[in-house]
Amino acid sequence: MDLAVIERSVALIGAIIVGVFASIALKEDWHAEGLDNNTTKLLLGLMAFGCIMVFFAAIGVIGPKG
Amino acid sequence: MTTAAVEHGHGHGDGPDHDDGHEEVIYQETRDMRLLGFVLFLCSDVVLFSAFIFAYLYLRGTIDEWPPILNGHQLPRLDLPFAEFNSIVLFGSGVTMHHALENWKHGKVGRFDFFMGFTIVLGVMFLCGQGYEYSHAAIGGWSGSIFGASFFTLTGMHGFHVFCGVAYLAILWWQTKKGHYDQTHYFGLTAGTLYWHFVDVIWVALFFLFYIF
Amino acid sequence: MAVAAPTTTPTIPRPVLDHIHPEPTGFIRKYIFSIDHKIIAFQYFITAGLFFIIAGLLAEMIRIDLLKHTGVLTPNVYNQVYSVHGSMMVWLVIIPFVSGAFGNFVMPLQIGARDVAFPWLNLAAFWMFPPAGLILLASFAFGAPDAGWTEYPPISLQAPFGTSMWCIAIFLIGISSTLTGINFLVTIFKMRAPGMTFTRMPLFVWASAATAGLNMVATTALAAALLALFLERQFGVPFYNPTKGGSPILWQHMFWFYSHPAVYIMILPAFGIISEVLPTFSRKPIFGYKMIAFSSVAIALLGFMVWAHHMFTSGMAPWLQLPFMIITMLIAIPTGIKIFSWMATLWGGSIEFSAACLFALGFLITFTLGGVTGFFLAAVPADLHEHGTYFVVGHIHYVLYGGSVFGIYAGLYYWWPKMTGRMMNERLGQWHAWITFVAFNCTFLPMHWLGLLGMPRRVAMYDPEFEGWNIVVSVCSFFLAASTLLIMGNMLWSFKNGKKAGPNPWGARTLEWMISSPPPYYNFKTVPAVLAAPYDFGNPLPYIGLDAEPGAMEATPQSTTGLVHAH
Repeated sequence: MDLAVIERSVALIGAIIVGVFASIALKEDWHAEGLDNNTTKLLLGLMAFGCIMVFFAAIGVIGPKG
Repeated sequence: MTTAAVEHGHGHGDGPDHDDGHEEVIYQETRDMRLLGFVLFLCSDVVLFSAFIFAYLYLRGTIDEWPPILNGHQLPRLDLPFAEFNSIVLFGSGVTMHHALENWKHGKVGRFDFFMGFTIVLGVMFLCGQGYEYSHAAIGGWSGSIFGASFFTLTGMHGFHVFCGVAYLAILWWQTKKGHYDQTHYFGLTAGTLYWHFVDVIWVALFFLFYIF
Repeated sequence: MAVAAPTTTPTIPRPVLDHIHPEPTGFIRKYIFSIDHKIIAFQYFITAGLFFIIAGLLAEMIRIDLLKHTGVLTPNVYNQVYSVHGSMMVWLVIIPFVSGAFGNFVMPLQIGARDVAFPWLNLAAFWMFPPAGLILLASFAFGAPDAGWTEYPPISLQAPFGTSMWCIAIFLIGISSTLTGINFLVTIFKMRAPGMTFTRMPLFVWASAATAGLNMVATTALAAALLALFLERQFGVPFYNPTKGGSPILWQHMFWFYSHPAVYIMILPAFGIISEVLPTFSRKPIFGYKMIAFSSVAIALLGFMVWAHHMFTSGMAPWLQLPFMIITMLIAIPTGIKIFSWMATLWGGSIEFSAACLFALGFLITFTLGGVTGFFLAAVPADLHEHGTYFVVGHIHYVLYGGSVFGIYAGLYYWWPKMTGRMMNERLGQWHAWITFVAFNCTFLPMHWLGLLGMPRRVAMYDPEFEGWNIVVSVCSFFLAASTLLIMGNMLWSFKNGKKAGPNPWGARTLEWMISSPPPYYNFKTVPAVLAAPYDFGNPLPYIGLDAEPGAMEATPQSTTGLVHAH
């Protein structure tokens, strides 16, 4: 199979798994206070956004044309 | 505003045996200072990457076609599928690091060990992936064009940060083995986790800027 | 607001970080690799002072060259001289003086702290400073940078290796600045004495906080610009070379994004010093404490939004000119608020014209003039004529010498007794102030009309019509340079003959004056609690528990009003 398809598939599944785990971690820590917890929440959230981006890239919705 | 503790009775004269609570408060204060200092350091590091990202966007804005034309031919775009894969490796390591810290806080050292090791392995995998990407990117090299200049400089700086992060996590792990931290005193682990998440988030930006945009 | 008078002595909240480390032993740990902020401050003072002399001599070389319109030095040498002069003064003199030296010595004392938040980081940051300076000076052997302290490409791309050394040196000092900025911010946020809320901090601390924020955020942008320049020079990586797709204007954006905040880094602590000196020598509370405090923050924030006013003639997109012009003009507002507040502080006061006060008064005049010419430069149509001329050189020296250096001198005269335990010779200091003020204005005022008449800056030779005024400027500059000897001699004199200073020779009210001169290595035996801002001359001191026996300072009903119980 095409290497790109393998990479994309792994990325797709990985994005879902990692994104879900990140969201669960975010939900658990939602009410935590303190500079470290708030920074962690922000960074985890941005990372979850990254997973969403990878997901959409893997299914071809976003990305350079062609 | 300092969160100085109000002592019961006067400030002086408490013997050492009454000072245990005071020692904990001293640690909390020191930890808070170190945490603020570390977060401020991360903020200044964000500025470093932002400046180079500005340079990339500015230079890209000076030409009509992207990727730019080198020696009469337009350069190819980067390998998006591979980058998707490598990105998930790095994002996954962020989640595993989070779980490592959580397990440490709850005293589950065995599970901490597992997740810490997993994180370091994923970090090294990411670096190897970048090495593969560098050897296969046919964009005219570091000095060929503004494409190579911005891509290799930015991802190179990021890779350097990841490398330092892997070294830092390895040292932290070794320190836990030596009993340096316990369930109340573990600021080093907190700092390491925050640094690792930071490195992760910078990659979110770089992935978007070079592979999607 | 009134609190019922307590019937018993209130408990002094014990600050948590009040443990005292053992005194360092051995010459190396006490004076070379010291983590004591006061010793580190001395190290900054001495190093920056030496660099000031060297950079000043370079300035005199410039003035010697400009005595003749055909020049004295070869243009190649001349270019290197003014480039290193500017680079040294900005990065190796002014910023280390105001931030590393004064910030380190005064700020922790003023907040009642025993040291900064990260003393070892403080040590590390200092020890990057001398090597950075030596690398820059060594660049003369390899072809020193010659495109001004601003090092615009393409010239900076084509220059010899010394320019790469400049990149390394400034990168190194930049790391030092960033670490110091982080250190000071955490110190100010976390280590203030109990009861010292933000609006009870001395104004020098407000200034230090704003400066630290600028240091922390802006310097890394410079690091990026320098790294890119270095990579392009050494490895051909295209960022700024237009033949390879780069852009020289990109350098200007990246460089000035740091370098404009840098000028605020250089002036804000000087503002802080003036805010300390004027109330003390007027025996009056500072007028508009909150306005001055918040204007420091406003200047720091606005300072990030004006960088392209250095680029009006660069060929950048024309639509950028108007917004940058307007925001630049807006900075005059918080600055003006400070000037008027200081004038109002003096008004009706019982003024003592000490050397420190004379420099502060001189500052008010010269910095205001510099601010006015800055406003002229902010106006785009005027700037199109004035850019790159001696008008700019006049402006920058009015704000940097008439501003920062006058502030540094004021601070030196003011805090010398505290730092050394000796008084300087007041009469000699007053002579120094007057001679400096006159020589300074004679040196730099004519530059404004030289610039308006069309004399460009950074030229080793110039049109004969400018020679007359250039001779005046050069001769006066020799007097200005010589006047530096007066304070140097005064410092030496004070060690030999100066009266021993008590804790508070000026009768000031901030915390550093409540302990011995010089302070012991632990600063405060007991960290006091703070009840009010320090400038309320005429009222009792707003502190409880100063290095006194427990209970010796009974709190009166009046002074317990406003006591904040920290929790």
